[in-house]
Amino acid sequence: MELNTGYIAFALYTLIIIAGGILAIFSRSIIRSLIGLIVILFGVAGMYFLMAAPFMALMQVMIYVGAVVVLIFFAIMLTGVEGNEGFSSSRLIRSIIPAGLAALVLILTISGSRINFTSPEELPLKELGKSLLSTYMLPFELISIVLFIAMAGAVVLGFERRREKE
Amino acid sequence: MSGVEWTFIKIVIGMLLILGFIAFNAILLGYGERKISGFIQGRLGPYAVGPHGSLQMMVDMVKLMTKQIITPKKADGFLFWTAPILSFMSVPVLFMVIPFSPSFTVINSGLGIVIILAFSGLNVLALCIGGLGSNNKWSLLGAARAVSQFIAFEVPILLVVLSITLMTGTLSLSEIISKQGGFPWQWNIVLQPIAFVIMFVASLAEMNRVPFDLPEGESELTAGYSTEYGGMGFGLFVLAEYTHIVVASSVITTLFLGGWKGPVFSGIWWFLLKMYILCFIILWIRWAFPRVRFDQLLNLSWKYLIPAGIFNLLATALLVKLF
Repeated sequence: MELNTGYIAFALYTLIIIAGGILAIFSRSIIRSLIGLIVILFGVAGMYFLMAAPFMALMQVMIYVGAVVVLIFFAIMLTGVEGNEGFSSSRLIRSIIPAGLAALVLILTISGSRINFTSPEELPLKELGKSLLSTYMLPFELISIVLFIAMAGAVVLGFERRREKE
Repeated sequence: MSGVEWTFIKIVIGMLLILGFIAFNAILLGYGERKISGFIQGRLGPYAVGPHGSLQMMVDMVKLMTKQIITPKKADGFLFWTAPILSFMSVPVLFMVIPFSPSFTVINSGLGIVIILAFSGLNVLALCIGGLGSNNKWSLLGAARAVSQFIAFEVPILLVVLSITLMTGTLSLSEIISKQGGFPWQWNIVLQPIAFVIMFVASLAEMNRVPFDLPEGESELTAGYSTEYGGMGFGLFVLAEYTHIVVASSVITTLFLGGWKGPVFSGIWWFLLKMYILCFIILWIRWAFPRVRFDQLLNLSWKYLIPAGIFNLLATALLVKLF
């Protein structure tokens, strides 16, 4: 295995992701945990770059860092959760079960899939769009339905609260 | 020299030039803002340092840099100092993909506009972190306003960019320019006038400029998210703000005004001319409109700009399909 820039970049992004994870788990305030999450998301975006999917990487930055994290910020700001619990052994034991389940699913998926280590080639954006609207039509439409339901739910909740006020 | 090394050297040189350009523009816009404000209000503006006060910004920069760095006692120091650094860090990336001229483009990416949209979103994150980390009610309110404003005005910008992309069939900024001609009637602004207005108004709101500068509305919130900052922490926020003005002007120039193309002698000067005219208009608007109320601001986006943007997108899609 020769040492090339790809491996260095992979190591760098892995380190970034692990560092972000450690910051997210061990920090005492919830906002600092969120910063850890942002660091992780940037590391994952780097991984997408490494997989020759720059569009995915930029969407990762735009949607997750630009929108999702900002929304979480907003939720924390409005609910005013301090969450100064920090790291404790009882929480560790309680959180091992869901984390273990998630890890099991991931390990099964990764070991079950065929991964080839050839260097990937960048797919033109047009091909991506075409495959989204032909091969992967059904999942694509399902995702849009999920998003639409969430949006409609938010509108309904907003109207109900307004009616209660009146 | 191999291709990878050459790209690397090009990026480093481009980065240095961009940092110089950012500093130059911050000084120019800072001086311009004070002088233009002065002239509009019938004052002289800065006059004491240098001829016509032209060295005032140098003195101010030295002042900002040499000030003592203070972290408030109750603030979260880590978050407090992450914010201004994050705010400034994302800015040089934005210039990397802007095609100033055919030869002067640092990265000629096929995803240029997506890079700009992705990394300009980091600014609001910085405002959030700064506002929360300051542990101050004004800062918190400023941050909350910044977030809701950003989310509201990001949608029309995306709709407008989508219309332009549909029309030109590319996300690359240099290709968008190459589809336009040198004369004003060959620019995208003629085909997409609604999109231009939406883009300009939403950009103003995205970079927290008057009349949409509610996150730092000094009459209500002292200085909003930047209340607790002094010295270079404040300096970095201001630097990022001025740079966002330049970036927004550059993006509008690229998308709507034909970029570096002009009737005669196409080149970087046309780009800079159009860009600085837009910058001047943005500074001028500050004294033309009063600050809006917050519900008016959100209504403007959700009730007018977004429906107009969706209509524009659908009309564009229909016309592109027909012709």
